[in-house]
Amino acid sequence: MKRFWKSGDPFIWLSGGALALSLVMVAGLVVLVMMNGLGFFWPSPIARLTLADGKELVGQVVQREKIPQPGAPQGTPERYRIQVRVGNRDLYGADFVWVEEANIVRRDFPPDALLIERREWGNLYGFIKEVRDGERVVAQGSGDGWNALQTYLPGETETFNEIRRIEKREIGAINHAQEKIRLEIKKLGLRGPDGSPEVARLQQELETLAARYREHAASLAELRQSSRRSLVVSAAGDKEKELPLAQIVRAYRPDAMGLLAKSRLYLSRLWEFVAGEPRESNTEGGVLPALFGTVMMVIIMSLFVAPLGVLAAFYLREYAKQGPFVSAVRIAVNNLAGVPSIVFGVFGVGFFIYLIGGSIDRLFYPEALPTPTFGTGGILWASLTLALLTVPVVIVATEEGLAAIPGGMREASLALGATKFETTWRIVLPSVMPSILTGLILAMARAAGEVAPLMITGVVKLAPALPIDGFWPFVHLERKFMHLGFHIYDVGFQSPNVDAARPMVYTTALLLLLVVLVLNLTAILLRSRLRKKYTLSII
Amino acid sequence: MAKTTEVLTTGEPLAAARLFSAPRERLTRRLRVDLLTRRLVTMGGVLIIACILAIFFVIAAVVYPLVKAPAAAQVGVISVKIDSAPLAVGVDEYREIAYLVTGGGVQFVSVKDGSPLASSPLTGLKAARVVGSSAVRRGLFALGLSDGRVIPAEVRFTVSFPEGRRRVDAELVVSDPITVDSDGRPITRVAHVSAQSGPITAAAVGAKDLMLVTVKETKALIGPSTKEESRQRLSLPIEGEITGLALDGRAEDLFVGSSSGQVTRVDLRDPDDPKVAGSVAATSGPGIGVRVMGFLIGDRTLVVGDLSGGVSTWQLLRAKGNERRLTKFYDFVPHVGPVVAFAPSQRDKGFVTTDTSGMTQLHYGTTGKTLLTMKAEGDGVNAVTFAPKADGVIVGGAAGRLSHWALDNPHPETTWRSLFGKIWYEGYREPEYVWQSTGGTDDFEAKFSLTPLIFGTLKGTLYALLFAIPLALLSALYASQFMHPTLKTIVKPTVEIMAALPSVVLGFLAGLWLAPLVERVVPGLFLMPIVVALLILVAVFCWRFVPVGLRRRVRPGTEVSLLVPIVILGAWLSFWLGGLVERLLLSGDYRGWLLNVLGLTYDQRNSLVVGFAMGFAVIPIIFTIAEDALANVPQHLVAGSLALGATRWQTALRIVLPTASPGIFSAIMIGFGRAVGETMIVLMATGNTPVMDWSIFNGFRALSANIAVELPEAPEGGTLFRILFLAALLLFVMTFVLNTMAEFVRLKLRRKYRYL
Repeated sequence: MKRFWKSGDPFIWLSGGALALSLVMVAGLVVLVMMNGLGFFWPSPIARLTLADGKELVGQVVQREKIPQPGAPQGTPERYRIQVRVGNRDLYGADFVWVEEANIVRRDFPPDALLIERREWGNLYGFIKEVRDGERVVAQGSGDGWNALQTYLPGETETFNEIRRIEKREIGAINHAQEKIRLEIKKLGLRGPDGSPEVARLQQELETLAARYREHAASLAELRQSSRRSLVVSAAGDKEKELPLAQIVRAYRPDAMGLLAKSRLYLSRLWEFVAGEPRESNTEGGVLPALFGTVMMVIIMSLFVAPLGVLAAFYLREYAKQGPFVSAVRIAVNNLAGVPSIVFGVFGVGFFIYLIGGSIDRLFYPEALPTPTFGTGGILWASLTLALLTVPVVIVATEEGLAAIPGGMREASLALGATKFETTWRIVLPSVMPSILTGLILAMARAAGEVAPLMITGVVKLAPALPIDGFWPFVHLERKFMHLGFHIYDVGFQSPNVDAARPMVYTTALLLLLVVLVLNLTAILLRSRLRKKYTLSII
Repeated sequence: MAKTTEVLTTGEPLAAARLFSAPRERLTRRLRVDLLTRRLVTMGGVLIIACILAIFFVIAAVVYPLVKAPAAAQVGVISVKIDSAPLAVGVDEYREIAYLVTGGGVQFVSVKDGSPLASSPLTGLKAARVVGSSAVRRGLFALGLSDGRVIPAEVRFTVSFPEGRRRVDAELVVSDPITVDSDGRPITRVAHVSAQSGPITAAAVGAKDLMLVTVKETKALIGPSTKEESRQRLSLPIEGEITGLALDGRAEDLFVGSSSGQVTRVDLRDPDDPKVAGSVAATSGPGIGVRVMGFLIGDRTLVVGDLSGGVSTWQLLRAKGNERRLTKFYDFVPHVGPVVAFAPSQRDKGFVTTDTSGMTQLHYGTTGKTLLTMKAEGDGVNAVTFAPKADGVIVGGAAGRLSHWALDNPHPETTWRSLFGKIWYEGYREPEYVWQSTGGTDDFEAKFSLTPLIFGTLKGTLYALLFAIPLALLSALYASQFMHPTLKTIVKPTVEIMAALPSVVLGFLAGLWLAPLVERVVPGLFLMPIVVALLILVAVFCWRFVPVGLRRRVRPGTEVSLLVPIVILGAWLSFWLGGLVERLLLSGDYRGWLLNVLGLTYDQRNSLVVGFAMGFAVIPIIFTIAEDALANVPQHLVAGSLALGATRWQTALRIVLPTASPGIFSAIMIGFGRAVGETMIVLMATGNTPVMDWSIFNGFRALSANIAVELPEAPEGGTLFRILFLAALLLFVMTFVLNTMAEFVRLKLRRKYRYL
């Protein structure tokens, strides 16, 4: 036994255990997010539960847990309860109910149980009673009703999309033009009182726009009139709900679906998540605006951070005279990478938004004041803040790359008569390119996952418009934007219905994790290939 | 050969030499481009570096006004023709029109030049003169007349913008006079408020007698409302005579100051039955009389100014037995002469007092500080007003001289003590550290102590490091000393990926998944380190009995792969044991046990959860740096130690660890820095309540999370805005210092290795 302790092996194994624990935790985390995130799109079966008191519940079983029985004597049988998503928020008030398993008398999976994803009020669970066209009943019962639903739904969805298109595109364009003219009039008013012919012309334009708006409003009303088919669903608890078909995003019967159909549905829901607009205050639908905002912010940030970081690194390593000052600067830059991100956010608020943005507003947008244009959070300021946050990453990576380039390469170039610029441009830059790329990718990964500084520099829970659209100048850098990370925080912690929002949070987290991990893995691979190359070149 | 070309010969000497000529212009162009880029890169590089360093200065510049001393600039002295010494003065929010209450009524004058403005006469004055004035409360006040009557009046200012220019108009609205003293004695001390139940007027009639006039308005559904006036005469058991009256806006308590220095409270909560509820000596010495009394905004803090120049603030606090007692909060810098006038700010807890010599002082009630002293010219000063926007002070003298100052005092509530120390806030029993930046009402007293937030930051960091340091350092030791190189090429990127996990994902998992889970398995969690360690030891012990042939198949350095299932098993076992322990020892409910035995409450989102999540974020950072330091220990040291017969563990512990200790120290410093600044995890995994206690089962509020939550709502340039910047500055300095320290230690280490 003494030898056992003295050999030191137990301690080695213990330290190995610490590492194993860390690895288990990382793997567990990724697996947890993946399972919860990816599982959400798979249509789980709809159960019909008959309770001991004769009540019926129709819904999807979400989780099962032990009921804690504090103070119970030894040997008490364990009791379990299940959480059921019964949906029908408008009928029952709450989406979820807890049921004790002992109270369930019967549990079956009726093949005609229908799940409807609605545009409002969340999921609807029930059985088709009839399909109506206006007041006229077209089909009755589950079988006929299902067929009728399949026939009519595409048309109604198309009409709905047409309405949305007119509202967003046509009327949106009119609103945009009107707003611009109003600002123009205000601007003329600020310049002086005598811009009257110009003002009159603009007023005239406003009139024509208003006329065009009325036209569109009329056609909208007509479209709305034409969409009058509806579905009557009988839900558990003797409730009934009439639902216009235009309100249906998707209707399916999970208990009657085969594997193929389920897979198709899975893909369709996955696609909706990635490419769809959010619904129900972000707890349903897709995350396209958030994804778009994240990507765009990262791209704008890269546009700033790449040249600036490279310039700074080249200055520090190639042009500046090495000495205590440069070392001090290098330490400062290194340390900056350790400064909390929220501090950068605060700097962004103080410097970019209020100082620079405020000045821009006073100089170029006086007509819009006191509504700030650039003097408030926006995608440009958020990107610049993150650029500052990540610039040390690029500087450090580039500097490392520059240090790894053998001095002989530079000297050879200079000896052949090339100027310093030519050497840098033709010899040093190409060989340091992979390092720059690594740094840039790491910077992008860091920026994509960062949320705290964005919360105060321009992220919002629901942006009315994307930063890019069809109106001149097409890219609107002053606009607020949505972000995957903030989406997670907002949906998971600020939404009133956390249970219903949880799957959405997991999937969003998965998406963000995927973006960050892919970027990081790319950087790691790039770096390891780079190392190999340099080891070879030194030999 | 032309002089404008440089000729170089290339190729073999015997072959026809190929001329390589470069025109001189091209060469100069190349050189120019070279110079240009040199300048460009230098400029760009310096600019970026300056930009980075500017972070500190920009934040500091926003913070600076907080600590800037307040300043007053005299705008002017104006002379107004008046019939008697002013009893009170007032001014509008733009400081354009001032009014003076004099014997003949209320007089409006222009602040610019003192010229009289058309004013509405004080109707109902008749032959009497104004001899007393109550405190002005949002333009409302009551005037005591020489014939025993009181006139409630109101000064209203209207601001309009005809043709884009500001225009302020003043108007005096006079209510019906109330006959207070039927004997017709002059009313010099009067207090008047419009409480919810109706207006209440209190006036001193005679030396020790008070008259209370309450008007109850009962609004009938139909027809005119009826007014019911009731009057009560109170004889107070005081020494000396009544010299001051103050009535709070809720009409709950009337405070009566006397010439003997006593302040007596009259409880008016039952208006039909006023009770005298004790008195305290409130002046700077026995026998020194009370001269002025009044309330700060919110009507909770009473200011008492006495004849010897003392100024103090008092509040009603509930003592034992639920009895309310007048308690002194602060003494302010005293005046030289008797305090003759007092005026509260309408925005914050500031107030001004002035004495007969015209010495005017600006105080702040929350902090107990006297901020400024101004000297008005002339004698016989007896009235002062604080401008509605708290940006100016006007002092009125007997001869009709008005001295006007503009104040630059945007952040009176911040002192070093109010930011970091204990402050005695309104309604609190004792000085405390409190962070509560916003409240429901206008007269809310903002509480800006950063101490609970710094405490929260340190608490979260401590628990995170308690979890992260052992795990990270042991892992680093194993990875650097014992692990197989092939395995290491997988493990290191894995840990790097762990470092890259977005903190918002960690925070959300901690808040939504981990917190409810931890709540169920707390006992098991505390057992886990022991159980897992024991299980590993047992495994090692058993390993020795495994046949050698089988043992050989596991290469040294890959034990970790065997350990993964053991760790998982250990975790499961400890949860199971935890359940057992809870049932057997903690009577099946650990939370009840915590509360009953240890007196601890359990929040679902607590420091334990934050410790895990933040530890998770910190582990890879400490691991990476520590692993680098450990792996860079010169190999000949290790080889020497092993050659002398030390075991691998002895070598690691006695040779490698001490040599790399500065590197490990710097790893911990950097981990500390990361934990201090972490925002999203603490925001999502704690309850964000700014409490100060060390319990691991309670939440906290950290500096960083506080910034993220409050900055979007803080108005630019306000005190809260700047204090949040100060919080950021603190974080910045804290982490920058830590990182610099770590960097220096690391540089030293590198130098040390060079000599080894």
